[in-house]
Amino acid sequence: MLLVKDSMTREVIALSPGTTAAQALALCREERIRHLPILEDGRLVGIASDRDLRSAAPALGDPGRAEALQNLQISDIMTRDVVTARPDDPIEEAANRMREKRIGCLPVVEDGDLVGILTSSDVMEALVQLTGAHEPGSRLVASMPDRPGTLAGAAGIFGVLGINIVSVVAGPRQEPPPGEQGPWRAAIFRIDTIDPTEAIEFLERAGYSVLWPPKP
Amino acid sequence: VAAEAMSGTAAVVHDLALEAYGFGEGHPFNPLRIRLTLELCETLGLLAGYPFVASEPATDEGLTTVHSLTYVRMVQKAGRGEANLWDLMPYGLGTGDNPIFPDMHDACARVVGAVLQACRLIMRGEATHAMCISGGLHHALRTKANGFCVYNDAGVAIARLKEEHPGIRIAYVDTDAHHGDGVQWMFYDDPEVLTVSMHESGRYLFPGTGGIDERGRNGAIGYSINVPLEPFTDDESWISCFEAVVPEVLRAFEPDLILSQNGCDGHALDPLTHLSATTRLYEYIPRRVHELAHELCEGRWVATGGGGYDIWRVVPRAWSALWAAVSHQEPLEKVPEDWLAVRGTESPVKLPLLMRDDPADYPLPEHASEIADRNRRTTEELLGKVLPLIHGSVAP
Repeated sequence: MLLVKDSMTREVIALSPGTTAAQALALCREERIRHLPILEDGRLVGIASDRDLRSAAPALGDPGRAEALQNLQISDIMTRDVVTARPDDPIEEAANRMREKRIGCLPVVEDGDLVGILTSSDVMEALVQLTGAHEPGSRLVASMPDRPGTLAGAAGIFGVLGINIVSVVAGPRQEPPPGEQGPWRAAIFRIDTIDPTEAIEFLERAGYSVLWPPKP
Repeated sequence: VAAEAMSGTAAVVHDLALEAYGFGEGHPFNPLRIRLTLELCETLGLLAGYPFVASEPATDEGLTTVHSLTYVRMVQKAGRGEANLWDLMPYGLGTGDNPIFPDMHDACARVVGAVLQACRLIMRGEATHAMCISGGLHHALRTKANGFCVYNDAGVAIARLKEEHPGIRIAYVDTDAHHGDGVQWMFYDDPEVLTVSMHESGRYLFPGTGGIDERGRNGAIGYSINVPLEPFTDDESWISCFEAVVPEVLRAFEPDLILSQNGCDGHALDPLTHLSATTRLYEYIPRRVHELAHELCEGRWVATGGGGYDIWRVVPRAWSALWAAVSHQEPLEKVPEDWLAVRGTESPVKLPLLMRDDPADYPLPEHASEIADRNRRTTEELLGKVLPLIHGSVAP
């Protein structure tokens, strides 16, 4: 669950180093893709994005552009030092790598073979799955002291009320509310109920601070 | 459309058995609201000459046009007390929102049958408009009870009409405070069914979906329309958004029948939502839907109820106005004393004496103009995205 292999695209369109930039760009348009891994003898040797291809030729409107795209080989443009992921990497780790390196995709390699590709769209999809945003539910954010048992207490309140938790994500540590001490942490719940009013009431009575839904 | 052209006969589909759809004491979805509404209509004299039209429960065959047979069997078992709670919960049954109750399958199937009956009356030409306020259970999903809704009456009715009248184009207009998710997903890739839902934004309210980018799928992109409204949206902004979106998309679509879901839980007093509408909105919307039905589809219009959780002060007045629009009667001014004498003593809250809310009691929400601006931008962006994609029926 939530590993790279659960979210990656398995049908990868890969090119050989001799492909021209013009051919590669046409493929990007047809297949509506933006990232092209390049394979040589089955081994990943480089990666290029549609932006790399476009910016390698003279600008749009330049009379020499079409010819330049015909003459450029993808091996002239591609990035050779490819940042990759493994199928069993946790998705959050892969997302962090993409964020730190400022890249839009990670080819997924297992035992030297290209087995998939993880793009930023796949990470977005994982985020939607993680937060249950595609399932019916009410969003509720409760802040609580950052210590053992507080999250369990909040979850217990939903349990007692017969409300299922669709997802829960713990947010970063934050300042306590006025009059409270020590670090607090907010938990973002998606709960399967149309009527969170009773749950909010119980949470507040038990000392939780309900940050969402906002009050009038 | 001239006033005399907007006539036609009206029918109300109801019987006492429909009031069995409810989840018991202490649950917000209380069938007493149906009773209170019909009694108020009757005391106002709005039901004179309109005997209730009876209906049969939907059959398993009807229900399985949009629900899985496994789910229907689960609801049946739940209602007979034959199923284990842990087996029911994956189907949304036996939860805090949708507790099981005796004979729940029958009660739920009756609601579906009643809305289907209302639609069939229209299609047979026995009435031009019909109302069934027990209907409007728009959250029910294919294999899951959801948000107080077990079977999706509009979903089944639309699917059945499509079987009985191939090629029929149905516009579903949902102005409940919650997104009409169940109906939307059932017809998400069907360009013969236009679903329009105006609701409080899913960022703040269940079910969380209904953003403007949910526009349909495959050959039906543009045929799911969502207008997510800011919390505390008032009548004025609501009405502007309705006017900006609904007439245009319906005209582009050219429906043969309009099915409207008239939840009144966007009222400022509603305990479950954060909108700021008053009875003005709930008088306005059905009148406009009525006009559009006459303009676009010879008046063919079926109106259902929906959400509404201030069952004493809001629902009876809002749905009396709905029935007045359906039946071409003028809404009355005063809440009748006879009704107040009986129900006023039972109500836990003081009941209003007038049918229409006094605007003085509902001051403009703070930041009303910012809220209206945001809503306006939402409708502009939405129209730009969907209007070019909606096409009417092929000319004969």
